[in-house]
Amino acid sequence: MKRSVFAMPYGLWMLMFTVVPIFLIIYYAFTFGGSFTLENFRLFLEPEFLGILGLSLYLAALCTVICLLIGYPAALFLASKDFKRSHIVVVLFVIPMWMNFLLRTYAWMTLLEDTGIINRFLEWIGIGRKKLMYTESAVLMGMVYNFLPFMVFPIYSVLSKSDDRLIEAANDLGANAFVTFLRVTLPLSVPGILSGVTMVFMPAITTFVIPRLLGGGTFMMFGDLIENQFLTVGDWNFGSALSLIMMALILVSIGILNKVDPNGQAEGGGLW
Amino acid sequence: MKTLRRLYLAAVLLFLYAPIVVLIVYSFNASETRAVWGGLSLKWYAELLRDESIMQALYVTLSVAALATIAATLLGTIAAIGIHSMKSGMRALFMNITNLPMLMPDIVTGISLMILFLFAQVPRGYGTMLMAHITFDTPYVIFSVLPRLKRMDKNLYEAALDLGCPPAKALRKVILPEILPGVVTGALLSFTMSLDDFVISYFTSVRTQNLSMLIYSMTRRKVPPTINALSTIMFLTVLALLLLITGRSNKAITKKGGFRR
Amino acid sequence: MVEDLRLIELVGVSKEFDGFEALADMNLYIRKREFVTLLGPSGCGKTTTLRLIGGFEQPTHGKILFGGVDITGVPPYRRRVNTVFQKYALFPHLNVYDNVAFGLSVAKVPHADIARRVKAMLEMVGLKGYDKRYIDALSGGQQQRVAIARALVNEPEVLLLDEPLGALDQRLRKDMQLELKKMQQRLGITFLYVTHDQEEALTMSDTVVVMKGGHIQQIGKPKSIYDEPANAFVADFIGESNILSGTMLEDRLVSFSGHKFVCVDAGFGQNTPVDVVVRPEDVLCSASGEGMMRGIVRSVLFKGVHWRMMVQTGDTLWKVDSTQMLQEGSEVGVSILPDGIHIMHKMEEAVQE
Repeated sequence: MKRSVFAMPYGLWMLMFTVVPIFLIIYYAFTFGGSFTLENFRLFLEPEFLGILGLSLYLAALCTVICLLIGYPAALFLASKDFKRSHIVVVLFVIPMWMNFLLRTYAWMTLLEDTGIINRFLEWIGIGRKKLMYTESAVLMGMVYNFLPFMVFPIYSVLSKSDDRLIEAANDLGANAFVTFLRVTLPLSVPGILSGVTMVFMPAITTFVIPRLLGGGTFMMFGDLIENQFLTVGDWNFGSALSLIMMALILVSIGILNKVDPNGQAEGGGLW
Repeated sequence: MKTLRRLYLAAVLLFLYAPIVVLIVYSFNASETRAVWGGLSLKWYAELLRDESIMQALYVTLSVAALATIAATLLGTIAAIGIHSMKSGMRALFMNITNLPMLMPDIVTGISLMILFLFAQVPRGYGTMLMAHITFDTPYVIFSVLPRLKRMDKNLYEAALDLGCPPAKALRKVILPEILPGVVTGALLSFTMSLDDFVISYFTSVRTQNLSMLIYSMTRRKVPPTINALSTIMFLTVLALLLLITGRSNKAITKKGGFRR
Repeated sequence: MVEDLRLIELVGVSKEFDGFEALADMNLYIRKREFVTLLGPSGCGKTTTLRLIGGFEQPTHGKILFGGVDITGVPPYRRRVNTVFQKYALFPHLNVYDNVAFGLSVAKVPHADIARRVKAMLEMVGLKGYDKRYIDALSGGQQQRVAIARALVNEPEVLLLDEPLGALDQRLRKDMQLELKKMQQRLGITFLYVTHDQEEALTMSDTVVVMKGGHIQQIGKPKSIYDEPANAFVADFIGESNILSGTMLEDRLVSFSGHKFVCVDAGFGQNTPVDVVVRPEDVLCSASGEGMMRGIVRSVLFKGVHWRMMVQTGDTLWKVDSTQMLQEGSEVGVSILPDGIHIMHKMEEAVQE
């Protein structure tokens, strides 16, 4: 008996629950009232919707940059010799990531609200209360908080696997600490950075929960727009077209990252 | 230098933990509003146990996670063995299908499944949520089991045959024990992914709410302080689960998928 | 010791993998209690032959007989043969005892019997007291012994060994070669052994089968294979040799390297192109002016027991092994005695036959 038959129940399951649904989305995206049309995609070119995409790209990019700026040093220090032996510090970084996502975001609501800890602190030092909730900054904060670990871990895992002797060799060849970092450590960590960037940028551009909870629906992001089309407006065709655009966006980004990093370490989320 | 590094890491950890710590502190606050500290109390924990909607959502979350984990582990482990023995063309096809749900944004996965269920006129509730969870859990099992199979000495199976085991017995007595750590890791990953899921459940179930969905709907109105108590309990549960996984494999913990948001 | 009964017989067996012919029309028999070695470079089909007999592969054509009975379609778990795998394939989730007991417990042998036989086997391979150890806590040599014990405890009619000593260091290999040979003689089990190490093959075997590119090149006793290689490939593979192109002028007279030599071979016809093999130890050097040819010593290398020298006569560079050292650059006389010369058909013909 061929053992590859074992994969067939799974194959059927995935056909039913992954492949068929994608084709349904494709079907709805290219039709209206049952007949073929590109209208759904043309509608997306309206300034209103392009503006939403622009804002989402902008916030996601900003979030990615902030995560990289905060996360890279963290990963670097975590992988440095003083912490290499202590697995516990790494676990400390992981724990918040595994807490329920909704609860984590809700926790930020309690911090940022008008009577929250931060505002009380600001009051206490004499600056006075600020409106923190339901702003772009609040959304950005929530995204950075939620996705930061996704930046730290890929970089950490690349750096912690790199050979200490490379650093020693660079020192031996006359490079000081800064030059060594610039010419050895940083280039070596590029696959980790790429994979971290993917893993932060992708969820940042697709999230609709964070803008809902922390943005309070005062402005819309791409994920919101899709959810809105299906659950509020009820325009499946436009919603499907938007979903396809989002998937295309992601596949193209992953394609670009694979080009930049032909070794494929950033492929498919990179953590595998 | 060393102190600076430690300080930096401490600051980042503070950023990561502050919100959680605040929730935990509030969970012991006797006062109803967060604005006032009413003294230490466990009353929100007591109330949590009496809150039927939370208990119902907790039951849904746990039972869906458990059932989905069992189904995904069986489906995925058997599939991994099959995929492992495939020739490169078929294997590439299956790996691509397996990669698909991991590459797709949760919102697209959720919506595509919602369309499927509406299209097939299946009422969205517990059953559809369970099917959706099995769908996104199984690839994690496959990705945990496959490397184990690859690392395994390919002669082990033949050695079992050589020593008199028929194929089915060889599979059970030799291959299964070999890949068991991968199977367990996959199951634990599945369970945690299911516990955490909001987006896909949100689109694939209307009549039944899991915890994430309940919290989401609460944040749209007023969040009762019982949620703080719940957060504390969930945080401790995650901590315990994580220590369990860490004991197994250091790598598995950083494996949490990037697009499940 | 070796009985005449043909225990295993391969009749016209060939094996293709995706259009690649790994084994071509192989005919071979192995007698009871015989120690047969399949020898050849990688890709010669020796491991394929072993796997066909073990039942892990099915032949594309031909059949395999076991004690006269066709076992071609019989799965491995119903064959009375056991295998020692290349990298041992020990079960990492089981300890030493459970590894060795595996086959017996699958066969539902009573526990007391299993315990007795496993203990005895572990003692025989020198692993007494290692029962509870896990596989990764063992050295390579110890793992090797467990693998042998695991196979032998089932009392197979034939033991198949796939390069079992390949992962061991030089010293351990030598010890294990002797031990395996002794074990085989004491237990009276037929061994089919695969290796690419010619020295190993010659030391241990009753019969050596030299293979290349899926074809058998020569079957014979170690001594006859060494002394009378069937073709240049065998000659070259079995020990280093001087291989030259020559012409068989008539029976017992051959010309090569610009000289005529008396030899012991006959039956090649007249003026036939042949390959001539001369072992390095059969090239004799004497004082300058003596011998059949004049040569100059080009290089000298100490090899432990003997010296390896390169001696040039005319256009020919000879490998010469001798226990006496010659001075580099010195002039010597070179001679080759008739029984040091081995005449073979040209390679192409030999492979085609």
